[in-house]
Amino acid sequence: MHGSQNMDGADSAFVFEGNWKDFAKIAFPNLLLTIVTLGIYRFWATARERRYLWSRTRFVDEHLEWAGTGMELFLGFLMVFVLFGIPYAFLTFVAQALVARGYEALGVGLTFVALTAIFYLLGVARFRGLRYRLSRTRWRGIRGGSDDGGFLFGLSYMWKTIVGWIPLGLLIPWSMTSLWNERWNKMSFGPFPFQSNAEAGGVFVRFLLFYLAPFVLFVGGMIMAGMGMLAGYGIGGEDGMAVGGVIGILGLLLFFYLGLGLIAVAFYAKFYREVVGATRWRDLTFSFEASTLDWVKLLVVDALLVVFTFGIGLIFLSYRHWKFFMTHLEAGGEILLDELTQSETKTARHGEGLLDAFDMGAI
Amino acid sequence: MGEAFTIPADWYDGTNAVRHSGQLAWDGRGTFMLDAPTDRQSFAASDLRFGETRPGKIVYRRESVPDFRLILPQDVPPGLAAQLPPKKDYGAWVDRLGLGKAAAIFAMVSAMAVALFLTAPDWLGPRIPASWERNIGDAMIGDFGGRICHTPAGDAALAKLLARVDPSEEKVRAGIANMSMVNAVALPGGQVLLFDGLVQQAESAEELAGVLAHEVGHVRERHVMTALLRQFGLSILLAGADSGVTNGVFGLASMGYSREAEREADEYARARMAEGDISPLGAAGFFERMSEEHGDNADTPALAGWLASHPSSGERAEAYRDAADDDARYTPVLTPEEFAALKSMCEEDPDVEAFDFF
Repeated sequence: MHGSQNMDGADSAFVFEGNWKDFAKIAFPNLLLTIVTLGIYRFWATARERRYLWSRTRFVDEHLEWAGTGMELFLGFLMVFVLFGIPYAFLTFVAQALVARGYEALGVGLTFVALTAIFYLLGVARFRGLRYRLSRTRWRGIRGGSDDGGFLFGLSYMWKTIVGWIPLGLLIPWSMTSLWNERWNKMSFGPFPFQSNAEAGGVFVRFLLFYLAPFVLFVGGMIMAGMGMLAGYGIGGEDGMAVGGVIGILGLLLFFYLGLGLIAVAFYAKFYREVVGATRWRDLTFSFEASTLDWVKLLVVDALLVVFTFGIGLIFLSYRHWKFFMTHLEAGGEILLDELTQSETKTARHGEGLLDAFDMGAI
Repeated sequence: MGEAFTIPADWYDGTNAVRHSGQLAWDGRGTFMLDAPTDRQSFAASDLRFGETRPGKIVYRRESVPDFRLILPQDVPPGLAAQLPPKKDYGAWVDRLGLGKAAAIFAMVSAMAVALFLTAPDWLGPRIPASWERNIGDAMIGDFGGRICHTPAGDAALAKLLARVDPSEEKVRAGIANMSMVNAVALPGGQVLLFDGLVQQAESAEELAGVLAHEVGHVRERHVMTALLRQFGLSILLAGADSGVTNGVFGLASMGYSREAEREADEYARARMAEGDISPLGAAGFFERMSEEHGDNADTPALAGWLASHPSSGERAEAYRDAADDDARYTPVLTPEEFAALKSMCEEDPDVEAFDFF
């Protein structure tokens, strides 16, 4: 079957065909095995989950496949433990011993070095995590990857993040989009690289909400607190005014945190639409269509699910997030199957240990 | 050697994304053949590996061609299914044992590991050679940053006090630390520190003898190593959550002993004081004062060895008072001059470092 796949038709290019009942048959035994092995099984649990999620995701006319194994995730974890965990423990031990001996400055300096190393590794981890996932994803037998180790990206991650924060955080949208571009431009699938040219301008206006909102919320909240006091006074004189005031202030605090959370969600919704929309691969363009409301629904249902199942719902979050991601991801353009040959990138024999160590989640 | 089969199959050869749709044939003699207008290949049955299941389909791989994928319908004829590699699901061990059996075995092993982990400090601690402990202690604390007070008269008085409560050949290392907290600690490596705050509030040398004897008890009974192992185990459990700089010193000071360890150290102290003809009434008085000042809160999370030990101060005061022998003729443990030398030791040492973290 030679030829090409054209995706400008009616149906979405990415279709998720899983259902939560099938996923439960994976997730509950995983939970059991993870508990009885004191957590060691979680690497194999992750691999099983991903095998399910990938295999129930269709891109055009063929399902994705997760080719990663639990063993390689476990090895990745062990490697990070030996290469970074033990030196870090040693460094903090030396720092403490120095402080005990009266060399406070040296001890603090050493701790600073350890923290800087973690900051750097955080960037490297994000790069290598993406690289690992692409290299273990198969579509029609073809995989992705990168020949870059992510060590330079770690440096970029450090300086761009710092520069982003310096002018009162105003350059954060720039640092986020530019890091996204830098990361994806080093990735490839089959023989072709990804290209990303997301611009900060597109998300900057949303980002300004962070600065405006506290004032708006604060003034609004003050008015509400004042109204609460007045209402309280109307009901019960001086005492009623105090009670009304307290309720008003509680309302203000709630309003403030929910408001900030909402702004954060609005920003991330816009950010993902921008960066995914600016990412291309060969003749394919991508888009991500989730609105702020979609994200709010996702997060609210997540929270309800976890709270009302006393935490057991946690095992379904990876399913919900993957489904959300695949439902809103779209692709358009043309793929020439003959020219889509196997990736020449190197593949590491171990999993995303670093990312795992910093506990940075699914997507 | 068995039936031959031919069934429809799809496959990808791993070199490009073109799907080959054709037929899989089994020759009955150990070889699979794939035939499609676009591709044709054959390979040994032993080369085939199970990949994964999809709705209505099973995916196989080839060991020798990593990205080759063979997609067969789920309902292959039983005779052919017998030639295909078995399904894998949970991972090798669990697949072999079955989920229930594997979970039971894992649970048992885990329970044993947890039990071993929790009890290890108690039986392992006393077995670690004292010389190792001394090395660990030196690495952790060194000379305590020059915060230990020295004057010739004070050192002599402390040595005399120590000789009365620690009769063994090789003495523990004792010192008075320039810290104003009312406290005393036994540190890894057989080092005992009385804090100057405790020395200042002492009303008699017997009180100090009681405190010192108690801390020596912790060293001699190897409680320090046990507590150190316990803390190390905890920090592994908390996986690096513990990273503050001040944790070093505070961590040591707050390193708690078990109730039993405190009792053992008290018993050791009373035994040594009885042998050395030291009145336990001084220590009793100390506990009574502590009980009045701090209340009898059994689980006061105060810094440390001496004060935060679990038996309440009132109870302990009583135990020391009961230990006093009415017929015994206790000799003063230090002369008034020696006691005064201990009290002024930190003030008069010109070289001692002040205790502050930053």
